[in-house]
Amino acid sequence: MSSTISPAGSAAPVAPDEPLLELVGVRAGYGAIEVLHGVDLRVPPGALVALLGPNGGGKTTTLKLCAGLVPVTDGEFRLAGRVVNGVTANQLARLGVCSVPEGRGIFPNLTVRENLWLATGTGKRMESIEAAAYRRFPILGERRRQLAGTLSGGEQQMLSLARALGTDPTLLLLDELSLGLAPIVVAQMYETVRQLAAEGLSILVAEQFARTVLPIAQLAAIMLHGRIVRVGTPSEIEEDLSTTYLGG
Amino acid sequence: MPLLETAAVSVRFGGNVALSGVSIAVEPNTVTGLIGPNGAGKTTLFNVITGLQRPAAGHVLLSGADVTHMSPYKRAQRGLARTFQRLELFISLSVRDNIRVAGDMRNASRRGPRIDVGREADRVIELTGLADVAGRDVAEIPTGRARVVELARALMTDPKVLLLDEPASGQTEQETETFGELLRRLAGDGLAICLVEHDVSLVMQVCSTIYVLDYGAVLASGTPAEIREDPAVITAYLGTTEGVA
Amino acid sequence: MHTFVEFTIFGLILGGVYGIAASGLVLTYNTSGIFNFAHGAEAMLGAFLYWQVRFGWHWPAPLALLFVLGVFGPLMGGVLYLLIMRGLRDTAEVTKIVVSVALMLGMLYLSVWIWNPSTPRTDEKFFGSRSGVHLFGTIVTTHEMIALAAAVVIAVGLRMLFYRTRAGVAMRGAVDDPNLLQLNGHNPERLAAFSWALGAFLAVLAGVLITPISGGAVEANALTLLVIDAFAAAMFGRLRSVPRTFVGAVVLGLANNYVAAYFPKTWSWASNFRISLPMITLFLVLIVLPQDRLRGASIQRSRERSRVPSVRTAAIAGVALVTVVILLRQLMVDSDITALTIGLTFAVIALSLTLLTGYAGEMNLAAVSFGAIGTLIVFHLGVHGHGLAARTTIGGILLGVLVTAVVGAIVALPALRLRGLYLALATMAFAVFMTAMVLHDGQPHKLPLLHSSFSFFPLGTMIIPAPKVGPIDLQDGTTFLMTATVVFALIGTGLIALRNSSFGRRLTAMKDSPAASATLGQNLIKLKLSVFMLSAAIAGLGGILMSAAFTSVTPDHFSVFVSLALLMLVVVSGITYVTGALLGGLLAGVGFSLIVATFNALSLEHASLHGLFAMLAHLAAVAPALIGIGLGRSPSGSVHDIVESYRHMRDAKGVLLGGAITEAAVYLLTLGGIVTNWWFAILTVVVILLLPVVGQMVKPEAFLGEAEVARRRAEVPLALVGIDTPYTRQMRDEIDRALGMEITPELAASILESTDAPA
Repeated sequence: MSSTISPAGSAAPVAPDEPLLELVGVRAGYGAIEVLHGVDLRVPPGALVALLGPNGGGKTTTLKLCAGLVPVTDGEFRLAGRVVNGVTANQLARLGVCSVPEGRGIFPNLTVRENLWLATGTGKRMESIEAAAYRRFPILGERRRQLAGTLSGGEQQMLSLARALGTDPTLLLLDELSLGLAPIVVAQMYETVRQLAAEGLSILVAEQFARTVLPIAQLAAIMLHGRIVRVGTPSEIEEDLSTTYLGG
Repeated sequence: MPLLETAAVSVRFGGNVALSGVSIAVEPNTVTGLIGPNGAGKTTLFNVITGLQRPAAGHVLLSGADVTHMSPYKRAQRGLARTFQRLELFISLSVRDNIRVAGDMRNASRRGPRIDVGREADRVIELTGLADVAGRDVAEIPTGRARVVELARALMTDPKVLLLDEPASGQTEQETETFGELLRRLAGDGLAICLVEHDVSLVMQVCSTIYVLDYGAVLASGTPAEIREDPAVITAYLGTTEGVA
Repeated sequence: MHTFVEFTIFGLILGGVYGIAASGLVLTYNTSGIFNFAHGAEAMLGAFLYWQVRFGWHWPAPLALLFVLGVFGPLMGGVLYLLIMRGLRDTAEVTKIVVSVALMLGMLYLSVWIWNPSTPRTDEKFFGSRSGVHLFGTIVTTHEMIALAAAVVIAVGLRMLFYRTRAGVAMRGAVDDPNLLQLNGHNPERLAAFSWALGAFLAVLAGVLITPISGGAVEANALTLLVIDAFAAAMFGRLRSVPRTFVGAVVLGLANNYVAAYFPKTWSWASNFRISLPMITLFLVLIVLPQDRLRGASIQRSRERSRVPSVRTAAIAGVALVTVVILLRQLMVDSDITALTIGLTFAVIALSLTLLTGYAGEMNLAAVSFGAIGTLIVFHLGVHGHGLAARTTIGGILLGVLVTAVVGAIVALPALRLRGLYLALATMAFAVFMTAMVLHDGQPHKLPLLHSSFSFFPLGTMIIPAPKVGPIDLQDGTTFLMTATVVFALIGTGLIALRNSSFGRRLTAMKDSPAASATLGQNLIKLKLSVFMLSAAIAGLGGILMSAAFTSVTPDHFSVFVSLALLMLVVVSGITYVTGALLGGLLAGVGFSLIVATFNALSLEHASLHGLFAMLAHLAAVAPALIGIGLGRSPSGSVHDIVESYRHMRDAKGVLLGGAITEAAVYLLTLGGIVTNWWFAILTVVVILLLPVVGQMVKPEAFLGEAEVARRRAEVPLALVGIDTPYTRQMRDEIDRALGMEITPELAASILESTDAPA
């Protein structure tokens, strides 16, 4: 395959049916400043899609848009085939879209347990959320009464991921899981993500460290200057990486 | 002698270490690059250098003088200027007035001879190629051009050291190319420029020295060729493959 | 020892009630980001309503309490949030402050409307003032024990809410990260509405409890200012922590009682000092608060906009203003002349706000207090002659202006470090302090060294004679009117010149981004200090002229409510416009009081319609507050909207000429006595507001641009374009376009609907 594959076209063979999440020509930004200049992206059901590219390219804005935190100014935001432009973040959360934002999706001044308690806003029961969280990350069980802000970076990221485990979402959005974490912790995080993907969860991951996520992704897209410039399988994308990141 | 130096600068936010023992030097007549992944501490370093953030330890030297405890405006009056990653334009003013007001501030500080602000602004607008948008509101122009307005505004203060925080983000490829040429020209006129940028190809083209920051520390430094070959840098940028199934 | 224990007990009780009020304030601020200046007014309404049902209608106490605390309080809070506060997202801090200030004034007017202040009302203690227990030789009444118990229950209850319920935990989470709360499936709007309901409940509870403790008189102003005590307590917890807020409240309560107990009775200022204690505490706490880091442009996305006229335009407008006032003078009787003069002096004070808040972005809730300082100096040092021959000297005026500027610099001290809300609070504390400590300083103090006595405001009234400068004697009404007009025109033109100068650009830059200004070499401290002094000087001059126009002034003329009403009306008119200062000043100085007076006079004359006219008078009194509350919808101010609509009229010169001819005809008819002054005013307003509508009908392309007109022509029958389109909708579209909110298909559809309906 060459680098001329169109984004929509390349996703087709993986997803014979409708994609779970689809952005068509989406434009968005903050106030007068437009950040996304027409993004086309598809997440097929059960797939793990990696959104790569240097910072400032629009990855975080794309994920915020999918989570309902940034409004669509033009184009279509579709969820399971239905256009959901203008849906609010809390509605999406209850529809099963779980978003772990950049830089620790936790409340630092609440305890571990209170953080998990708030995750029941999605409609799930506290018991199941706690059980799932402590089973996967026993360390969180030991620290359930500790303020989340006093946890180590890795434990904080575990906590934000624990919310995704317990609430049983249909779509998981992960933004820069690796931010400020030691490589060994990053590897541990992505091992968890891989297992979630293997269990059939659809996942969209934005990541600046391409090589941490490429091995577990089914599809990868490179984003530059507010547009998706390349979509392909991880092996196809791998070849382009050095050029994209280090300017060849 | 470098015009700008940081000596073992450290910054902590609560328990998190944002910078630990960062030492860099920025020479006149050159563009010095500062690259690194998101969260590596580049903007924090700029805030320490310009005085918006107090370091927990370390020193900032401007033309050899210790300015670590000097307020931001005094550092600016000594020839330090910067742009911001999150645009800090004066949104109630036109593009031209955004540039002019920096000259007003220079005159008000009574540093050096009084300048004709209008003429100086015209010169800078010409130099930075902003003539076509000079009369418009800054809120109306695209991000890429707005970043050039911040650069022009900084130039109005007649700086010796210029810190640019992601000036190319939001610019089109063509704009970035023109911008790179402008940077080389400014450096040629004797400026010491420090460039934080994610567009690594721009950095490789215009910089003579590059520092790579990672986890708040200098991971590597050297010429573009050296940086490109450095395995630690490649790992820092692309992440490690170890440990992932 | 007895005294100490006794005053400690009462200090704890008072502190407990402060704590109840302050915790409600902290609660709403944290969940909605809006600092509720109307919190004390909510307490006031609650206390009045409790009086009404308990003592007016003789309901049993439990039922009255259930109604006031259980129904009225929460309902008021929830409705306020849903109807008003929710719409304030993405507006500048000044808009948020002014809307809640307007709410406070509105509630105050409302209470005056319903409960005529000339009738005394007393809330009695629960179980009467005799029931209680003897403790260390003093009686602690049951009511006071209930108050203390309520404070403990509230403190514990809030603790439980925040730690034992999911909604409470979510509220704490909202402080950290409201977006993340949404990602967790919570609705921050609903949480905010709940917290406003709870906050209003706490305010009402505090109001019902504190009234009998502090004497029993239900008095609107005093209760409304209870909020200052709450501000001070809340500031101990930096507006975040409820436990620390309670600690601050208890400290205040104790300090208040210890001052009463231990300050020597010979200190004639001790009781005023006791009243001022919360303001002084607030001011000090604000000064020692850890410094915020220099922030960037937080208003990058806010909806406020403005345009700057050229100096030439300003000068022409100044001459036009003087001409208009000369023409108006021909229509007026003496009392009208004085009223208009007072309005113009208010407009001069308002100019100080245009400079400080409009241009430099710094808040000031004490504009009229600066006027009081100028007046005090003139009264003590600037009057020449006695009796009818007494005149205010130019030297006195200059000295007054100078001293006001110096005081401005002192008040600016916290401003050098504070911005936005904190600065607003500091200036409000200064205003209340001025009133309580200086303006109510009527008793003579013995000066120890000089063997004489002195008081700031002897006997509670000051006579300020008319100024006389060379041949210009302002004793003559017309001379005073024209002088005030010229002073306003000169300062106004000067401000616009200043805005277009290097200094003005630097002020604007500082307002937009302090961080960028500092890194460009601007000494922010110097700039802030100079603009504060200049602004205070203008307010001082305006205040002196205002006092002279009134001839005799009392502390009420300088109360914080006057400053707040002025600020509100200027912001509503357009804080960045000199014209906004004119309009706001005229409204604050004469406009509404004149309308109210007219309706009151009418209601006396026409006995049969008394009820109707009395109600219209009350409505007019509440009107300014309603306008202020509506600010959230059009945050740039009405002058901006009118300027925008007239900007398009440049291409419709014929319409402008037609308007001018119409207005001239109306004027001549009035001059000839054919129509009355009232009709003149009404017709003038109609002409000003209707002209853009006419212009739009005649030359739609001047307003919408060729492309838009062509697009609309394609969609609706030609005959309907513009003709039946309501004025307001069109104007809103214009504003939307200016703000970058393009017309959506829904909006376009609704416009078409409204055009079709009448056809």
